[in-house]
Amino acid sequence: MNLFSVGISHHTASVDVRERMWLSADEARTVLPALKEQFFSECMLVSTCNRTELYGVLRDPVVNEARITGLLLDAKHAEDIVRPDHFIAHRAGAAVHQLFKVAAGIDSMVIGDIQILNQVKEAFQAAGEQHTMGPVMNRLMQATLHVGKRVRTETSLCEGAVSVSYAAVELASKIFADLSRKSALLIGAGETGELTMKHLVGKGIGHVSVANRTRARAEALVADLGGSVVDYEHIVDALRTADIVVTSVNSPTYVVGPDDVHSVMRQRGNNPLFIIDIGVPRNVNPAARKIENLFLYDIDSLNAIVDRNLEKRKRELPHVTTILREELVEFFRWYRSLEVAPAIQDLRDTFEQIRAGEVEKNINRFRAEDRDLVELVTRRIVNKLLHHPLTALKEGSENGNGTSESLTRVKVLRELFGIGTGTKRDE
Amino acid sequence: MVTRLLIDILVIALPFLYAGLVAAYGIAFFGKGGAVKRLTRPYIALLLVLHIVYLGMRTIAFDHPPITSVFEIMTLLAAAMTMAYLYIEFRTNIRNTGFFILILSLVFQTVSSLFIKDLTVIPEYLHSKVLGFHVSAALLGYTGISLAAVYGLLYLMLYHEIKSSRFGVIYSRLPDLETLESMSHRAEVFGFVTLSVAMMIGLFWLPRVFREFSYFDPKLVGTFAVWVLYAIGLTAKRTLGWQGRKTMILSLVGFAFVFLSMTVTNIYLSSFHTFH
Repeated sequence: MNLFSVGISHHTASVDVRERMWLSADEARTVLPALKEQFFSECMLVSTCNRTELYGVLRDPVVNEARITGLLLDAKHAEDIVRPDHFIAHRAGAAVHQLFKVAAGIDSMVIGDIQILNQVKEAFQAAGEQHTMGPVMNRLMQATLHVGKRVRTETSLCEGAVSVSYAAVELASKIFADLSRKSALLIGAGETGELTMKHLVGKGIGHVSVANRTRARAEALVADLGGSVVDYEHIVDALRTADIVVTSVNSPTYVVGPDDVHSVMRQRGNNPLFIIDIGVPRNVNPAARKIENLFLYDIDSLNAIVDRNLEKRKRELPHVTTILREELVEFFRWYRSLEVAPAIQDLRDTFEQIRAGEVEKNINRFRAEDRDLVELVTRRIVNKLLHHPLTALKEGSENGNGTSESLTRVKVLRELFGIGTGTKRDE
Repeated sequence: MVTRLLIDILVIALPFLYAGLVAAYGIAFFGKGGAVKRLTRPYIALLLVLHIVYLGMRTIAFDHPPITSVFEIMTLLAAAMTMAYLYIEFRTNIRNTGFFILILSLVFQTVSSLFIKDLTVIPEYLHSKVLGFHVSAALLGYTGISLAAVYGLLYLMLYHEIKSSRFGVIYSRLPDLETLESMSHRAEVFGFVTLSVAMMIGLFWLPRVFREFSYFDPKLVGTFAVWVLYAIGLTAKRTLGWQGRKTMILSLVGFAFVFLSMTVTNIYLSSFHTFH
């Protein structure tokens, strides 16, 4: 079995190592054909901020993996920082399992990452464009995408926000029906606040305004996010028209008090107001939380949401593991059907079945003393018929099972003679 | 004969079928229920067809539409609620509120099936077409009011979860607050308008049919009070800008008042305006 994977990830390497090993789309396009030429009959490369992993079918199953990683290191000129122990290699089932884990999102830094499946899909497509895919990797791609789809539809692994900024956006979409008809106000220019606003913009928020003590900083943010600048002195007035407010001001006292909110709520006709206070110390007096139609969240309550969601995702792991196991069994059932020895056996069995059936049907037409001869002759005919194709099949697999050529031969043979995929034997 | 037999079968089967439907929507809401979720639409559509067949057969077999007794009205109300829900589900593609609304259909149908009688002889005025319009409008009105109350209740449940940061299944499965509020408000407006039509038809028609008609009849007074309550709520929303939690509580209070007024006037007080 020549399936193989090797790579670095957040489990084995720090970010400075990972970023040196990250391959852009152009770099991957250059490296893939070289890898195929030297080591693989088929291969693909997944490179994200958290991992650079190579998957493929080896031409020579006993190849030294340091030679493969060496080629990657050469391509990235990263020998000075990347050590051999940063790499982890997997073979056969473990390699497929690793890819399934990645696609499922359970190998990600944040469990249940939803973007990784698209990145894996793009990696397969890029390999296809470079003609480094083959029958095994194509089948592996189908199985991997199926794993990803099943995990997302049959489990809650990817549900619930797992970052403070996403938790805020998720809450906003539980309060408001259509964010494109709402406006958001950012007070202060902290990193999380800015990220929350970016997520809101990504979700199509109707209008953005920014208020900051340093107006130039607010203007820079507006240039990035779009929208308008509000004078910091007029932030309470700005609450009248905003639906979502993100505050992250560095201030020792409250910036907004309950009286401010009371008066604002009256002026805005008691329209719902969602305030995300991520300032430490807090910017909005928590006493305002009691006011009707005001939804006030501070950093602790958002963190609590994130923690709870992470816990929920972890509880889904046994279910995900079951899906992975089922898909592994299914993939290897197919993969084994392409191995030469079982294919030869299945072909022999099929021919023998046909021969025995026909002999049994017609044996009474022969005299009793000729019947042994009939058995002998028909066996010889079948053996002679099979001799050439089986010899060719064996010769084709001299370098071991799993090479693309021998897999293709077995596949064609099974299709031509209708001898199934060895499912019965596996069961 | 066959019609009667089918009526007898359906009168028993319908509550069980509604119980199954509520269970299916419950599984889809509280559990993963991927396969069950896919089954809910064909199930509800089939059940509605059976229910309409049942109502049609009753109309043919007993020579009058099923609007002459409180239990006939209840089965009609169950069908109307189910139909309204199905319409909303198709229109909005929001499937997660079915459990809460169809519980009402189940209750109405169960009570109806338990107590409904096969009335073949009814007073002449109950054959009137005007009565048909009056009852249909009232039925639509009460359907709208009931839907508004259910959506109001769901709004309050979700509001409470969001406010108290306790995010459970209600939070993860229900649509957002604004959508629930809008659904409740639309149902309420629809209910109010159709109830107004029912009242207007009644005010013109009833004095001509009933000699003992009185504007101070308990049922008329009760219904008028309900109408005034909803009129105040809707006006306040429009003029004073009431919204959110306050208006949802009002829709629940209105529904409770409707229920109370119907129960008291139909069971404890004597009125010319009673069912037979």
